[in-house]
Amino acid sequence: MLDDLLLRLRSLFRRKTVETELDEELRFHFEKQVSKFMQSGMAPDEAKRRARLEFGGMEQVKEEHRDARGVSFIETLLQDIRYGLRILSRTPVITSVAILSLALGIGANTAIFSMMDAVMLRLLPVRNPEELVQVRIRTVKSGTEMNGYFTNPLWEQLRDRQDVFSNAFAWSENRFDLAQGGAVEYANGLWVSGGTFETLGLRPVAGRLLSPADDQRGCAGAAVISYAFWQDRYGGAEGAIGSNLSLDGHLFPIIGVAPRGFYGLMAGTKFDVAIPICTVALFGRDSRLDGRSTWWLEIMGRLKPGTVPQQLQARLEVLSEQVLAAAVPLDWEKTKRQEFLQRVLVGVSAPAGPSYLRRQMERPLYVLMAVVGLVLLIACGNIACLMLARGLAREKEMATRRALGASRTRLIRQLLTECILLSLAGALLGMLFARWGNALLLRYISTGRQTVFFDLSLNVRVLLFTAAVAVLTGILFGVLPAFRSTRVSLTSAMKSSRAVKSDTRMRFRPGKWMVASQIALSLVLLVSAGLFLRSLLRLATLDIGFDRNSVLLVNTNLKAAKVAPERRLDVYDEVEVLFAKLPGVISVGRSWRTPVTGYEWNEYVSVDSPGAPREDDSLVYFNYVSPGYFVTLHSPLLRGRDFQASDSKTAPGVAVVNEMVARKFFPDANPVGKTFRVGNGSKEPGRIFQVVGLVKNSKYESLREETFPQAFFPISQIPGNDDSEYFEIRTAGRPESLIAAVQSGVAQVNKGISLEFGTLAKQIDDSLVQERLLATLSAFFGGLALLLAMIGLFGALSYLVTQRQPEFGIRMALGAMPASILRLVLREVATVLLVGLAAGLCLALATVHVLESLLFGMSARDSVTLITATLVLAAAAFAAGYLPARRAMRLDPMDALRYE
Amino acid sequence: MADRRIDLPQGTLDLLILRTVALEALHGWAISERIHQISSKVLFVQQGSLYPALHRLERKDWIKARWGASENNRRAKFYELTALGRKQLELEESTWRKLAAAVAQILETT
Repeated sequence: MLDDLLLRLRSLFRRKTVETELDEELRFHFEKQVSKFMQSGMAPDEAKRRARLEFGGMEQVKEEHRDARGVSFIETLLQDIRYGLRILSRTPVITSVAILSLALGIGANTAIFSMMDAVMLRLLPVRNPEELVQVRIRTVKSGTEMNGYFTNPLWEQLRDRQDVFSNAFAWSENRFDLAQGGAVEYANGLWVSGGTFETLGLRPVAGRLLSPADDQRGCAGAAVISYAFWQDRYGGAEGAIGSNLSLDGHLFPIIGVAPRGFYGLMAGTKFDVAIPICTVALFGRDSRLDGRSTWWLEIMGRLKPGTVPQQLQARLEVLSEQVLAAAVPLDWEKTKRQEFLQRVLVGVSAPAGPSYLRRQMERPLYVLMAVVGLVLLIACGNIACLMLARGLAREKEMATRRALGASRTRLIRQLLTECILLSLAGALLGMLFARWGNALLLRYISTGRQTVFFDLSLNVRVLLFTAAVAVLTGILFGVLPAFRSTRVSLTSAMKSSRAVKSDTRMRFRPGKWMVASQIALSLVLLVSAGLFLRSLLRLATLDIGFDRNSVLLVNTNLKAAKVAPERRLDVYDEVEVLFAKLPGVISVGRSWRTPVTGYEWNEYVSVDSPGAPREDDSLVYFNYVSPGYFVTLHSPLLRGRDFQASDSKTAPGVAVVNEMVARKFFPDANPVGKTFRVGNGSKEPGRIFQVVGLVKNSKYESLREETFPQAFFPISQIPGNDDSEYFEIRTAGRPESLIAAVQSGVAQVNKGISLEFGTLAKQIDDSLVQERLLATLSAFFGGLALLLAMIGLFGALSYLVTQRQPEFGIRMALGAMPASILRLVLREVATVLLVGLAAGLCLALATVHVLESLLFGMSARDSVTLITATLVLAAAAFAAGYLPARRAMRLDPMDALRYE
Repeated sequence: MADRRIDLPQGTLDLLILRTVALEALHGWAISERIHQISSKVLFVQQGSLYPALHRLERKDWIKARWGASENNRRAKFYELTALGRKQLELEESTWRKLAAAVAQILETT
């Protein structure tokens, strides 16, 4: 056995020696034979001839000998590769075009796949991630609706009572300002329960990680930083351990560094610093520790080994009653409290950690994966056509090799090797493209508010995917041409006349169908690109109820400024006056929140009329704004008045409502002067507000929402002196040009106020990230597909025209007009195009409905899009067909015939 | 001359080669000559099948090859039987004898 292997290896590595030895052995035999014949009286020449005849093909013997040696597979492969490289380098332009288009196709696939891998497939880099379970809560009535957020009392109950997990932990994400006043410098923070790192099975790179002892009520606080943060901010210095880090103005000693590769629990984010849950008290948010209706923690647990899902669920259901009963929100009204007790804890396997980005990106990623898959198919089509044409041109070579004794399998294998070489080269280049593409993608989906982070480093899964795609692609575009071009009839191929090759046209027919299918696929891509573009356009030109342009948003935060709570409003007033005086400022508004963000404040509203909305239907969305807010946003006041200075903290409660509130609560009446009550009679009667004005409907949370009923209240009447407010500044020039002036102005008032800048236009743009991503990428790939399909069409037609040159020459010599030649060629275009378009339309109509949920306010079978895409494709096809057609038309009959 | 040749039945070439090199180490040409002579010029081994067969047997470790000097002092590759090859030869010989006897019996009785 070992000897056998050695012999094989010897022949592989000492191929030369082995081949020479074989040569020598055979020559010896041959000479012996010759001398034998000569001894029997033959003339030397005759003897040699006889010997050669008896010998048979020397090469054939060698080939059989190689088979017997048993290394032929690898050896032939190496030989094929050498030969393939030689063939490919002989046509550098075609080869590079092929490699480039493959690289684009494979690169796009790798990029999107590694995104999918990072978002959906990758498990948390912790010990036995498959044991991790996320605890969620289900409201019994709705059955499927689940929520992943818990109050701290609920978490403490669960932690102390549970017995299905070997350990459980809770965490919450938060941004912390690292700067102490002035421009903010945000770090992504985590509040974690003491047992988090232990439960995950993580070990510190330096120092120590948080332990349950660090997470006790009244704790002093300690921080664990991530490896990346340690590298970026401290250069990986040991001295970082023990130094202090300022978070929102509070100092925390750094006790250790989390392991490299652990970026936090949610895909799409990365944490910089983690501090124990008990420290919320240090930030003056004690309410979070005991608040029974402050839902801010997420919970995960590690299953005890051997626990099956049914056991887990059964235990959690029993636990639910005890846990919920001990943490009922006391301020809720009775019916809601009873409803609360009906809820059930649910365990959801979460080996990859929970991710909201995952749910949001899942569908777009699938769509993009399909799109890039189609692009790659189209690229394959092109290269298949190319290979087919080249195969037909190499007919003579094939015939010669067949005649010399090569089997057809052998030739097919050779041709496929060439194809796989091409696609592997494409894949290598494609991986490079994919890296750029991914960096670009991440930058694209990150917004001013949220930097999206994915660990996109190469891993085995992505590499395997790319390799598999490359090999499959090679086979896909190689098989048909390989079979076609090795099916040669020896005699006719050896003749050099082109007349006998009239069947080439027939044999190129699959090329035409390939072009037709390329057209069909690119139509599908064009249609989806069109849909996404139109949908984005709709969103971008939507009437949002205010003017987004030329508005600078400034978030002012007093957390670190040491301002007494009762003085806060005065500080904001002072800042507002200062802003209004800055040159280039048209008007200034102030508010608790800005439009089209996730911050929301809603409450139940009631009016004393019989048909008034009740329960969830009576939910109204709130904002607290200054008198200049509506003017600054260009949000038209339809009736009544704006807020004014006299609506002070002590004045009677007033409100401005939008048209939706007016329609719901005061139908058929002028809302101005009417009153409503906030809170639908839970434990206290609720405050009464008088409507003083009516404003146009506007968007609250996102552009895609149905109109929300909104009520605005004077910011001077905001309950509980908030420590953060927004300023909206309408500017004459570019909003960003005011940032410096605003910064120095605020520093005059108080150096401790932290500031964050943005523009309203950018904020609204950012809310369309997903839509813009889909539109841009699908337009890019749609364009690429169109280009590839047109190159394919152009190539196929050029080939056909060259093949039919003699025929055209004869026709012209017999009196055909150039126009009729043109018609002949364009007829080819038209057939291919019609078949392609028809198939493409069917395909598009059958598949686009999956895009429906990603579109805004339009059907996926949008006729405008379908017609436009069809027309664009038809125009492009005729443009691509025109050049070869013109060449055919301008043919000189003499030249064309002289070839014969 | 050609009409006197008989094509070798499948699988017998290996047996013949093993048998031929059982007595002494021989080079390829000598093997084919020996088979030709001993069979009274009935069997003729095409070198197209001889060498692949030799290399196959070598790989199976039934024969081994070494370079030596031929009768007129040229370098030639000599093949000889290995211990394993000897066992194989005995096995194949007995199989062949049984087969030949059986075939002969059938031919004589019918």
